[in-house]
Amino acid sequence: MGERAQATADLGMARAGTGRHRRLALPAGLSLGEYARSLVRRLAALSAVLVTAIWALGGQGYFWPAWVWLGLGVSVLLDFTAGWAWRRPRGPVRRVACVWALVSAAAVILLLTWLLTWLLAGVHEFWPAWALLGLATAGCAYSLFALHDRVLVAHGRRALRERIELLTRTRRQAMDAQAAELRRIERDLHDGAQARLVALTLQLGRAELRADQEPELRALIGDAKREAHHAIAELRDLARGIVPPLLADRGLVAAVESLGVRYGLGTAVDAHTRRCHAPAVEGAVYFVIAEALTNTAKHAGAKRSWVRLADERRDLVVVVGDDGRGGADPSGSGLAGLRARVEALDGRLTVASREGEGTVVEASIPCV
Amino acid sequence: MRVVIAEDLALLREGLVALLRENGIEVVAQVEDAQGLLRAIAGHEPDLAIVDVRLPPTFSDEGLRAAIEARRRQPELGVLVLSQYVETAYANELIGENSAGIGYLLKERIGDVRDFLDALARVADGGTVLDRQVVTQLLVQRGGAADALARLSRREREVLELMAEGRSNTAIAERLVVTPGAVEKHITNIFAKLELPACNDDHRRVLAVLAYLRVAQSIDA
Repeated sequence: MGERAQATADLGMARAGTGRHRRLALPAGLSLGEYARSLVRRLAALSAVLVTAIWALGGQGYFWPAWVWLGLGVSVLLDFTAGWAWRRPRGPVRRVACVWALVSAAAVILLLTWLLTWLLAGVHEFWPAWALLGLATAGCAYSLFALHDRVLVAHGRRALRERIELLTRTRRQAMDAQAAELRRIERDLHDGAQARLVALTLQLGRAELRADQEPELRALIGDAKREAHHAIAELRDLARGIVPPLLADRGLVAAVESLGVRYGLGTAVDAHTRRCHAPAVEGAVYFVIAEALTNTAKHAGAKRSWVRLADERRDLVVVVGDDGRGGADPSGSGLAGLRARVEALDGRLTVASREGEGTVVEASIPCV
Repeated sequence: MRVVIAEDLALLREGLVALLRENGIEVVAQVEDAQGLLRAIAGHEPDLAIVDVRLPPTFSDEGLRAAIEARRRQPELGVLVLSQYVETAYANELIGENSAGIGYLLKERIGDVRDFLDALARVADGGTVLDRQVVTQLLVQRGGAADALARLSRREREVLELMAEGRSNTAIAERLVVTPGAVEKHITNIFAKLELPACNDDHRRVLAVLAYLRVAQSIDA
């Protein structure tokens, strides 16, 4: 019994020693709470030694200091388990740990109380059995409940991830469908309305020839033909805005190279892509380059400009730069519209345009 | 003049055939696709092929490729390419090494029947006819850097565009409703401003202007 008392006291001293060591190692880092805890541990160890000494000096007899040890041990145990539980990650894990810390502390207290009673008074019945069973049942029930909670959270996360994947995929599909639809409209305009208007001008031309002798009729036909020409020109501009003909006919690289010469800027074009891109991606990249070069031609006063188009890992990357005066507003309507178009394809568009340092517009769009 | 027509849209093809026939031009074959064009040219040996740029099966630029291939096989053949839009890149490819007997026009020019028939005759005779939009696009491509072109007046630009269509001074004068003398003055001014040697041959004149614009373009590129 004396040995056990010594062991507990040693434990208390060792803990107090650790506390001192930590305080010395971290004189400024020790919080008030930690300092109080180490102080309480040292006092506990001191009290344990003190009551044992009082019992020894007071004529010994019934070994009552064991109950004091139990009280002190319980507080150290609670402190330890609470600290352990508190270091668990936040959320359900910590809640379960707290419950189990309480359950095990209670179980240890019960067992120690039974052990002391048995040792000091000789009771043979294992009375904590039912209480322990109750505690274990409560802990398990709570754990199951919390586990179910965790499963729910994990399930929710998975559902969220699947939803994001679904939305990403369907958005891209919608963009592709829209681009394909636009190309179909362009083709329909070409083969439908535009072709019919051309046929109309052809017939009007024939009629004009036959009305050679009637100047008034001829003038009327001439007017009708001019209207038809205006309509054709408007449809052509519309179709060009939807899908530029070179892009539709020859693909991205040819269209980008043609853009390079269109603005008379002496633009160096380096366009390479081996992949076959969706119409939505091709359209976005084409219009990024067209808009950036238009801005360069209008505002930059540049001597040199360049376009680079290349596959980089999973992305199609385009860079349009110039050595002009810079200072472009990235939130300007043209660039903002392009950004929206690129971001809708999960891409990224950046504009670097410091005053006097030229402008570089870079867009990258992931290939799906 | 014996002509082959390659156009996939029946409406236009038939209208074009009717237009040509009533103006005394013999249409020896009308086809719908590029393969048909090459076969018809080999079989009929026409003077001129009128070809739509977009033809089946892919409706991209088969017509243009077929026209270039046809010219490679028969360098004497005149080729007039029609399109609903103008791309200077296509004009450059079409002209290639040999610009004699080449035409590239917007489809709606058919409506100006007399001009269109003139253009056909010029191309069949080995001339060069480029749509005025080709010139406009090339001018735009020259952009603000083209000082010489910037110095041209609006009327001079119009004359330049009509020259690119391979028209004679008289035809340009009729078109702009001015006297041939005024046209000559404009042309002299244009050549002076572009620092080109003066030249009276319609066909060579187109080439000189085109060469100027293309050189300007390639320097820019």
